[in-house]
Amino acid sequence: MSERLGFEHVTKVYESAGADFVAFDDITLEASPSEFLAIVGPSGCGKSTLLKMAAGLIPPTKGKVQLGGNTVSAPPPGVIYLFQQYAKSLFAWRTVIDNVMFPLEGAPRSQRAELRARCEDYLRQVGLSGFENSYPWQLSGGMQQRVAIARALAADPQVLLLDEPFSAVDALTRMELQTLVLQLWERRKFTAILVTHDVEEAIFLADRVAVLSARPTSLKEIIDVGLPRPRDQLATREDPRFLKLRHHLTTSLLAKGSGHVVAA
Amino acid sequence: MSTIGTIGEISRTGARTNRAAQLIGVRLYGLLLILVLLSLWELSARLGWVVSAYWPPVTAILRAAVGELAGGDMLDALASTLRRAAIGYIVGSVVGVVLGILLGKSRVLRLALLPLIEIIRPIPTPAVIPPLILFLGVDDALKIFIVSLASFFPVFTNTISGVAAIDDTLIQTARTFRIGWLRTLVSVVLPATLPAVTAGLRTATSLTLVVAVLAEMIAGSSGMGYYLVQMQYALRPDLMYAAVLYLAIVGYCLNRAFIVLEARFVPWIGKT
Ligand SMILES: Nc1ncnc2c1ncn2[C@@H]1O[C@H](COP(=O)(O)OP(=O)(O)OP(=O)(O)O)[C@@H](O)[C@H]1O
Ligand SMILES: [Mg+2]
Repeated sequence: MSERLGFEHVTKVYESAGADFVAFDDITLEASPSEFLAIVGPSGCGKSTLLKMAAGLIPPTKGKVQLGGNTVSAPPPGVIYLFQQYAKSLFAWRTVIDNVMFPLEGAPRSQRAELRARCEDYLRQVGLSGFENSYPWQLSGGMQQRVAIARALAADPQVLLLDEPFSAVDALTRMELQTLVLQLWERRKFTAILVTHDVEEAIFLADRVAVLSARPTSLKEIIDVGLPRPRDQLATREDPRFLKLRHHLTTSLLAKGSGHVVAA
Repeated sequence: MSTIGTIGEISRTGARTNRAAQLIGVRLYGLLLILVLLSLWELSARLGWVVSAYWPPVTAILRAAVGELAGGDMLDALASTLRRAAIGYIVGSVVGVVLGILLGKSRVLRLALLPLIEIIRPIPTPAVIPPLILFLGVDDALKIFIVSLASFFPVFTNTISGVAAIDDTLIQTARTFRIGWLRTLVSVVLPATLPAVTAGLRTATSLTLVVAVLAEMIAGSSGMGYYLVQMQYALRPDLMYAAVLYLAIVGYCLNRAFIVLEARFVPWIGKT
């Protein structure tokens, strides 16, 4: 199950004493059901703001976010935001399994055992079997991020919003986690929107990559990745098309201003 | 394989006994100092270095302390002090946690109540005992109230700043999973504040005994505070010091118990 998620002319103005701060102005962008969309852009251009808006965590100043046929005004069911600060989003007082169970605790008691078994399975899928009863602070950064991913899966997302989910882990862990997320996405077919400033990561994971400019932020371009799936950490990254896209996107990101860049 | 395992086992237990021995060794120095001081006390009283009716030898104090175990007023006094301290502590702490969370979460309540609380807070608790006697009398009501007041403030201030310090990410996490406000309060805000609450409770624990004993000294006719003053009048320094000794033991045990409970129930302190 998945949903279409669209930003329609969204603007975000942060009001602070004195000067208002325009994070971005009039962005229109859409992810189709089951699509993997990546958004790249320089730091501070408003990527997190955009995703939190999609999650219903902050309202747009102008424009609207559409999910299926409805306008998002509060966190909608089935839309899960995976925090950039994953370590801070885990509950230190809960064991790993209880963290993963968190979204399901509203369920009736009679279903508890079954749900728990399901959560144990999510933990197995992210490679954390045997750590059910550890606490998050006893795990490495990469493992903590896996817990956060398993917890998001437990909520059965139709749209998963990933905010630089791998930026704080080492290169090797990062590749493992990328592969993991791709596998889960291929299995569950939720709509995925990934925010990153890593061009290669965006190409490796996504169907399409949207490029945001530095502030004043605008949508520079959207490219189709068109690389075959399933993707492979070596073969995909060595594909000539991958290299061409990387060249193009890097140039685009490095270029000043918000004008379009002609593909090489 | 098994040989290596065995050697590993041996060296590991070896390391453990070593560490234990080291710990006892270090502790020993501290104990030694106490023993030396107590011996000096004993000698100074027995050999007449300090000539005073109020300076009994340590052994006399210990004898008095042990004698009270067999029957006497002191343990009754201790029990009534502890009873009042415990009730006051629980009342003050519960009110402190509840108000701390409510005010931490609600701006309106903060604006309404915080000025009042901030004005009452700097008043030294003992200073309100005389006026309160007029309203509450000299018995349980007064003392329990005073102890509650004294334990309320550290718990309240720690709780409210603990709530303020909760990382917004935690709250937003609850929101993205569509958790209602009540469950967010109970299963996110409360546990996230617990380390701060614990710090407040710990401060309150030590304050509680102090204030209970003090209140009993000023008013009423029961409890350890009253007993201490009576023994002073009665020129029974041995019993007076024995009472102090019992209070010290109780205070020490409470603190130890607190540390054990803290490690058991709030193991994530300092881990976030
Ligand atoms: N609560 C807020 N109040 C005021 N300004 C804010 C707030 N949150 C974000 N901003 C500003 O809005 C801009 C966009 O922030 P955002 O966090 O969305 O950027 P980002 O693209 O995710 O950056 P990064 O890649 O570093 O995570 C930033 O310049 C930031 O200073
Ligand atoms: Mg961000």
